[in-house]
Amino acid sequence: MTENTTNTSRFTFKSVVLLLLPIILLIGVIALFLSTGGGLSLESAAPVEGLDVERYVLKENSVELHVRNTGPEEITIANIIINSAVMPFRVEPSTDIQRLGRAVIYFDYPWSYGEAYAITIFTSNAVPFNVEIPVAFETPQPSNSTFWGFTLIGLYVGVIPVFLGIFWFPALRQLGRRTMTFLMAVTAGLLVFLGLDTLAEALEFASKVPSAFQGIGLIGIGSVATFLLLDAISKRQTEVTGNETDRRLAVAFMIAVGIGFHNLGEGLAIGAAYNVGEIALGTFLVVGFIIQNITEGLGIIAPVLRDRPSLGRLAIMGLIGGGPAIIGAWIGGYTPSPFLAVLFLAIGAGAIFEVIYEIAKLIQKDTARESMPMTVFSGVLTGMLMLWVTGLLIK
Amino acid sequence: MKSISRRDFLKVGGLAMFGTVGGVTWAQKNAPQPALPDDICGVSQIQNIVPTAQMQHGDGIMPGTVGEVNHEENGFDPTNILTDFDYGEVSIMSDGRTLREYRIMALNKDIEIVPGIKFPAWTYNGRIPGPTLRCTEGDHIRIIFQNGSDHPHTMHFHGFHSGAMDGVPGTGPGGNVQPGETFTYEFDAEPFGLHLYHCHVFPLARHIAKGLYGAFIIDPKVGRPAVDHEMVMVMSGFDIDFDDENDFYAVNAIPFHYQNHPIQIKVGETVRVYLVNILEFDLLNSFHLHANFFNYYPTGTSLTSSEFTDTIIQGQAQRGILEFSYKYPGIYMFHAHVTEFAELGWNGMFEVKEQLQVHHD
Repeated sequence: MTENTTNTSRFTFKSVVLLLLPIILLIGVIALFLSTGGGLSLESAAPVEGLDVERYVLKENSVELHVRNTGPEEITIANIIINSAVMPFRVEPSTDIQRLGRAVIYFDYPWSYGEAYAITIFTSNAVPFNVEIPVAFETPQPSNSTFWGFTLIGLYVGVIPVFLGIFWFPALRQLGRRTMTFLMAVTAGLLVFLGLDTLAEALEFASKVPSAFQGIGLIGIGSVATFLLLDAISKRQTEVTGNETDRRLAVAFMIAVGIGFHNLGEGLAIGAAYNVGEIALGTFLVVGFIIQNITEGLGIIAPVLRDRPSLGRLAIMGLIGGGPAIIGAWIGGYTPSPFLAVLFLAIGAGAIFEVIYEIAKLIQKDTARESMPMTVFSGVLTGMLMLWVTGLLIK
Repeated sequence: MKSISRRDFLKVGGLAMFGTVGGVTWAQKNAPQPALPDDICGVSQIQNIVPTAQMQHGDGIMPGTVGEVNHEENGFDPTNILTDFDYGEVSIMSDGRTLREYRIMALNKDIEIVPGIKFPAWTYNGRIPGPTLRCTEGDHIRIIFQNGSDHPHTMHFHGFHSGAMDGVPGTGPGGNVQPGETFTYEFDAEPFGLHLYHCHVFPLARHIAKGLYGAFIIDPKVGRPAVDHEMVMVMSGFDIDFDDENDFYAVNAIPFHYQNHPIQIKVGETVRVYLVNILEFDLLNSFHLHANFFNYYPTGTSLTSSEFTDTIIQGQAQRGILEFSYKYPGIYMFHAHVTEFAELGWNGMFEVKEQLQVHHD
């Protein structure tokens, strides 16, 4: 067997040793460094510690702090002070928190509705970590009413506007080829704007991710992987069918997916903001979201205007594009996780930019038949301006 | 019909996502009890829902620490410090006067001030506050001060003495005692009253806040009326993260100590408290006694009470003597009526018990 292997491949015992040699040397160097310190003086005068408060939960007469040790070494929670009062507390699973480990700190405190609180967590090395509660109110717990509340937010912000946009389908079908190309360009413009917006939001969440999880790197991985994966899928589909109509339908679905991830991110942000009292979902804001997101529905149907997709397919596209807003609101409202938010938003950005690439290819086919440079220019610009102007209502 | 089942589906799907403590507790709390019959597996499922808190609940929510600091490792226990008076090594001088010799050493020491947090303190004789030096008016005082730490330190006494004995930089060798060096402070004890001593090396606020202070009692020659209990309380704070703001406050160094270990006295017993404020970084400190009034002797320099009150205010280095007794049994708070300090540790209790009835047949 071994003889056979050595004969057929050039992977000899010698090459295995040569391959392993650097690794063995590496282990040796690490061992040497660990035992001698490598001649560096690594003792620091002040302990380097990190503690992220990922979320706080206010319940009647009690407070929960969900924390993560983001420092290089194990830390021990030693004291809790809230608004200048030392409070007895307990930590689960333990006051000792491993590197990147999580724990929940519980303490009783008779907080009052609408007031502000400052909490200091002291570790055993007397390193303080501060938590601000700008406005105290009972954290929404999963219950029928908050559940439906978040669902409604998602419906208004995501599902309804996307479907409203899709309802333009019959009207837009009457348009000529040139106008349809213009609409495709508008869609590309919308997506460029949404892509930038998604990326910006991902960067914002990335700053809240514990540094050890490298939020920016996560954005790169999520977006590049999604872009290349969708690209591969689309190329494969072209190889398999080569049918122009199917391709356009596929692009429409991919737009729906990209917009779906964007809406998931939007839902996450709204749910999380609502959870910490940073947002009052006024009617004006909801109206703004509906107006802005109606353009997303338009974007989804633009590639298939000249075809006859079934009603069921249109409905599924609408759900894919708008539904994630509801899921996002649930996740953001109940278990805000910056890590997940960054990942979803990065996937969304990757998907959106890939779809722009696909649309660009479709537009290129149209413009190859009939030159219309101003149509593309004005369309893309119109798409971006639509979102910018309607965005004024929300920001 | 259809919409209901769809709704239920969404609800279940949503609940499945709440894989969090909040979600689980919610589900458990709101679980309809009849739906969980005890006899399913012979054990009630409700039993192990909420882990019993390690917090003291008692009558209500109260500030406090969890657990106990290691007094043995600290080398002192605030309960003992209350009544620990150091009268020095006594001898009679050739002129017939009393000579008291004290040995004090400045030491760096990590002191666990609240459970789990050690404060890198600078101490006199390894404790905070430093030893309560006690003598009588007119005694000759000799303090052999040895600096066993790695910073220059001094002992600056409040009272009458010569400039060379003032323990302030610029006044000679006693004004800046270097690590490893020894200096002997010598003076006559006067005036009678309640005083204090502390380090006076620059930066002063840091040298004091790190723990270099103590009470210095000069009894009047005629003495004070006899009481059942005499105790020392030195009010201070701790800035554990060195931002020049106190994080904890206490009497005799350990926050909440007398809240966790109430001071034991009996109804009708007379109590004299020697109260010193050496709090750094904050302007004022105060003392409030619950359900009682006390006679107050500011700085203890008069034998006549200046005030009958239940609350007094002291700036840094102000001090005074309190005399009182309790009429009724019970648990009584005493604390800074700067209530912020109270909730950050400067809070204690007197536990007043009935006098034991002595039966004579």
